[in-house]
Amino acid sequence: MSAVIEDVTASRPSSLEALGHALRRNPTIFIGATLLALLVIMAAVAPWITADPFRLSPINRLRPPSERWWFGTDQFGRDVFARTIHGARVSLVIGLSVAFISSVLGLAIGLVCGYFRAVDAVVMRVMDGLMAIPSILLAIALITLTRPGLGIVIVAIVIPELPRIARVVRSVVLSIRSQPFIESAVSGGTGDGMLLVRHILPNTLAPLIVQSTYVCASAMLIEAGLSFLGAGVPPEIPSWGNIIAQGRTFFQIAPWSILIPGAFLALTVLAVNMLGDGLRDRLDPRLARRM
Amino acid sequence: MNVLEVRDLATHFFTRDGVVRAVDGVSFDLAAGETLGIVGESGCGKSVTALSILRLIAPEAGRIVGGSVRFGGRELTALSNEEIRGIRGHEISMIFQEPMTSLNPVMTIGTQIAENVAQHWRVSWRAALDRAQEMLDFVGIADSRRRLGEYPHQLSGGMRQRVMIAIALSCNPKVLIADEPTTALDVTIQAQILDLMLGLKEKFGTAIVMITHDLGVVAETTQRVAVMYAGRKVEEASVERLFARPMHPYTRGLMRAIPHLDADAEIAGRRPRLHEITGIVPSLTRPIPGCAFAPRCAFAVERCRAERPVLEAWESGHTAACWEVARVLAAA
Amino acid sequence: MVAYIVRRMLATIPVMAVVAVFVFFLLRLAPGDPAAIIAGEDATGEAIAAVRAKLGLDRPVLEQFGVWLYGLVQGDFGTSIFSNLPVGRLIAQRIEPTLALTVSTLLVAVCLAIPLGVLAAWRAGRWADRVVMVFVVMGFALPGFLVGYVLIYVFSIKLGWLPVQGYRPISEGFLPFAESLVLPSLTLGIAYMALIARITRASMLEVLSQDYIRTANSKGLETRRVLMLHALRNASVPIVTVIGIGVALLISGVVITETVFNIPGLGRLTVDAVLKRDYPIVQGLIIVFAGAKVLVNLLIDISYVFLDPRIRY
Repeated sequence: MSAVIEDVTASRPSSLEALGHALRRNPTIFIGATLLALLVIMAAVAPWITADPFRLSPINRLRPPSERWWFGTDQFGRDVFARTIHGARVSLVIGLSVAFISSVLGLAIGLVCGYFRAVDAVVMRVMDGLMAIPSILLAIALITLTRPGLGIVIVAIVIPELPRIARVVRSVVLSIRSQPFIESAVSGGTGDGMLLVRHILPNTLAPLIVQSTYVCASAMLIEAGLSFLGAGVPPEIPSWGNIIAQGRTFFQIAPWSILIPGAFLALTVLAVNMLGDGLRDRLDPRLARRM
Repeated sequence: MNVLEVRDLATHFFTRDGVVRAVDGVSFDLAAGETLGIVGESGCGKSVTALSILRLIAPEAGRIVGGSVRFGGRELTALSNEEIRGIRGHEISMIFQEPMTSLNPVMTIGTQIAENVAQHWRVSWRAALDRAQEMLDFVGIADSRRRLGEYPHQLSGGMRQRVMIAIALSCNPKVLIADEPTTALDVTIQAQILDLMLGLKEKFGTAIVMITHDLGVVAETTQRVAVMYAGRKVEEASVERLFARPMHPYTRGLMRAIPHLDADAEIAGRRPRLHEITGIVPSLTRPIPGCAFAPRCAFAVERCRAERPVLEAWESGHTAACWEVARVLAAA
Repeated sequence: MVAYIVRRMLATIPVMAVVAVFVFFLLRLAPGDPAAIIAGEDATGEAIAAVRAKLGLDRPVLEQFGVWLYGLVQGDFGTSIFSNLPVGRLIAQRIEPTLALTVSTLLVAVCLAIPLGVLAAWRAGRWADRVVMVFVVMGFALPGFLVGYVLIYVFSIKLGWLPVQGYRPISEGFLPFAESLVLPSLTLGIAYMALIARITRASMLEVLSQDYIRTANSKGLETRRVLMLHALRNASVPIVTVIGIGVALLISGVVITETVFNIPGLGRLTVDAVLKRDYPIVQGLIIVFAGAKVLVNLLIDISYVFLDPRIRY
């Protein structure tokens, strides 16, 4: 009596097929990543493809979008297209720096707090307190302490975003710490440091990456908000928030000055969010089914 | 007098990996007041059959692709959503396997019973609650007035199943479909629940479809039994006949797989071995041309693999879907 | 139950303590002399000294903290540097528009977003769901001021249906009051609505796959009853949690929305105070905003007991 067990090994697909398959299964990652890549490339080559964003040309002020000025001009006659593309550089730099710095710091804090209970009680209270203060207010308050500048803006945005990442890392550490494989490692004589780095850290990376994409998006929005309020990047540097802020006075007759950089910002944030959502779905399918 | 007639019911699920033929042409009748058992292992389609009768299969997951379900002179598969809702909980009720999770945790017991009554009988809420209390008494829950205001998490598993039965029978349905009602309960509670169900059946004259994989439950509670395998019905008989002279090789396998205490063998120092049916259940995503059980059957011949066996009445009231019944019975 | 509520209230104290400490040390965090920062970039030595004396910055730090804290719990938020008015009074003057805006936004957001989320979960995978999800995704990406300006452009400039900016207090009549709040509420609420709709959908999806929903369906209950009474109530804890968390979004957004629409509320006060480096006002505002957020979260915590009978601490 032979048991019938079906042979389910299919032939392996070619790499092109595999790519197509992956694309179909994870459209969000691809769309988000592609969009983001395009924006980054655009920002990187900005100086070569656009006119001088700082050039004033008063006789050409407030022109609507046309052949010569794709996005029109602002009240100083500056090319909105050039300014918008250059603005991408600032916003992307800020978004990526904040994401990177807060990830590194948040990872460290989360690991330490999740692992060492004594530190946890104190530090997490501080994090709670920081989280209680609305992020824009916190950022504004920090910025006005010193001379405004790109670096200060980055630091001021890192601080409110830090607790979010620290919490995520910490919760992962807490849930892993009680698992049997940790116990067996400890009983085998593994030291704390080794435990943290080799066993716990790798498990935190996936949620960390997902969270950091959200932080990047959030940072870009906060920076834009700060600049819009006049408390962000110095007005000489064209960031999207600055451009919009400067477009306020003449909004009714020249809306393109605000709407276009705003649309670019939205598009960039959208791309980053999609990347984050796609990564999250890929890395933790359980969450994906829910969301 | 048949209260429920199922003919060639077919329910398919549409998954990413293909079409799953969960129910592949099942027919049976249910007479008024009778208890019919549907027996088979996990995945044979018994639950899906039950859910199909009441059209509880989620439309995104699958649908009834063929066959008919006649109840009270109406074709259930053709009713509108509103009409089938009128039947559920009212003329045909269902209880499920997991009493721990089948009750809504944020609503009181009383509400969950009363809303069924209020919905179908169109009475006042007060009257519905009175009926709910009556039902709690019927199912043997003491202190029923107080219990009405309690929440499911305050009750044990056995009591929750009693509540489920109370809900199901609250509108005097003609048919009760019980999908593995005692599988998740302790053995002692099992016996109580089964007794309760039979007692209520006597009282109200409800016909019961008892779905289970436990042949012991079948022996105790049912009058007729249908055996299912891979989405098809393979045998049907009265419970006495089925146990005395099973005709289909699968049914035989099931009977043999029940562990026996063999006193002689023990004394002689031999440990009796458990019988198993070798092989595994076929995948339901491929259409099976012949008999679904053929790959695992000791009596299978070419015809079995090529042609799907038809249900034939080999004895009065005893049908089996097998080309080799004569050989099977001879070898017994 | 009372014990639970009391415990939750006590838990807010450490959080507010951290906020207070942070706010107090805010000035002293910066490199340089706090008095110089306040006095401004081109202040003379005497001006700086005057500021230092006026604000008591020459006292020992702990003494300053004690004095400040003592005043704080009595309701004394300090005095504005520029206008010499008590900060408390300035805040009280500007609080009405902000309250009106945030409350109306909260109501609108909850009333729109929850049904949308329920719809999306009920019709999961079909076009209604996709539409809602697109809206959600957009809501997270669109910056507040962009939404505001787009709305102004379409509804005020082009169509002329609603006022471009400004705020009408309720004393001037309900209709002008409401009209002046429509666009700002939508602007403020878009990200909030996206958040609520998303969590509602996710929570409902999880609930709808539960056994007790199958039981409810097998009883032949009406779909509306199953969705609202059976499902939503079970889904409510995460939804309510997010409503509380989202209040932070609202508070952040208020600052920008009031600037876009020229509403004379606390948000505008914040911007003005910050740009002028009027620290006592900034400190007072941070405490007020943080306190509001903590209060909302406290209310949310307390509401859990009523939503889920299994939570009986």
